[in-house]
Amino acid sequence: MSDMDDDLGDDVLDFGEQALPDEEFALELLEEELRQATAILDPVPVALRQIAMEAFALHDLDSRIAELSFDSVVDALPVRGATGAPRMLTFHAGEVTVDVELTPQGLMGQVLPPRSARIEVLSGPQAGSPLTTDDMGRFTCDTSPAGPFALRLRTGGQVIVTDWLTV
Amino acid sequence: MRAGALPSTAYDDLPYTRGGTVDRADVGALVQSAVDGDAAAWKALVEGLSPLVWAVVRAHRLSDADAHEVYQTVWFRFAQHLGRIREPDKAKSWLASTARHECLKVLKGLRRLTVTDDPQLLDRISEDRTPEQSFIDSEEAAAQSERVRYLWQEFEELGERCRQLLRILMASPKPGYQEVSAALGIAVGSIGPLRQRCLRRLRARLEARGAV
Repeated sequence: MSDMDDDLGDDVLDFGEQALPDEEFALELLEEELRQATAILDPVPVALRQIAMEAFALHDLDSRIAELSFDSVVDALPVRGATGAPRMLTFHAGEVTVDVELTPQGLMGQVLPPRSARIEVLSGPQAGSPLTTDDMGRFTCDTSPAGPFALRLRTGGQVIVTDWLTV
Repeated sequence: MRAGALPSTAYDDLPYTRGGTVDRADVGALVQSAVDGDAAAWKALVEGLSPLVWAVVRAHRLSDADAHEVYQTVWFRFAQHLGRIREPDKAKSWLASTARHECLKVLKGLRRLTVTDDPQLLDRISEDRTPEQSFIDSEEAAAQSERVRYLWQEFEELGERCRQLLRILMASPKPGYQEVSAALGIAVGSIGPLRQRCLRRLRARLEARGAV
């Protein structure tokens, strides 16, 4: 790494050098050339773009979104040395709370206040693996999700989908 | 305005890295049409804004696998929130800042910076058949492709902030400073001077290499 390039600091506004029109023209050319190089060497993978196209199926105005209100990656104090700590997530949609705990062994969670629900673990626009809660609203799954993740809950005639995140 | 005359079938033929100019007003209109169920409008949004999302993800130096996952998460969330985005004409900034936050979270979750000085990247032209591929393959273009490699190499060796900023500015079409600001969490006013300085550095590197 060439660290001498990293010393830009936060005072970039302070250097009063204005590019001359000729120089600005040269820089624009360089930028354009770089843009073309990027299109060749690091384009959006076609398979990914296709997945994004298919994601239109996730557009659903009838379901409620349960917003992510707690994520241990962001909100919890890091515990020194505790690298295998489970990821804890909490989602809220009105009065409904969904707590989720992810470990390498799988997923478990609870819908609160306790209620029965049918749950799908989503990883994309396709239907996810189905789970059912017990009477206390608890659910488990013995495969651990990886990648894009959301839960779709059907309970009491309503559909709730959690915010998408990467796990 | 492109949005009005949107041909529902023509988008497959458009090279997605070029030409898919979608300006702010268009974005707002396309989001509105997509909310109303117009799949072609959604397709146009994906075509037009994928390079921006990809650029933000790439700028954050995730592993390839993480980059792919974050890109998907961003689009899934965009589809999910489509009808609830308060300012549809700012969807570009919404995507850029969602991508940034998701990248930072993944990096934080790893508790270490992933090294992605991927040596394969230089040799990896796209796995997909693109017009660029044939361009690279052709004998006559050999000299030019050499130049492209130099350029990319020197770009990769810039300091982190320059590399990050330039990677985002290199999305096609070129993002506005509002989007760059959302993608990097830096003030709009600092982008111009920073861009100039970074491009100058890149040019100096190329000159030192005798490649200007």
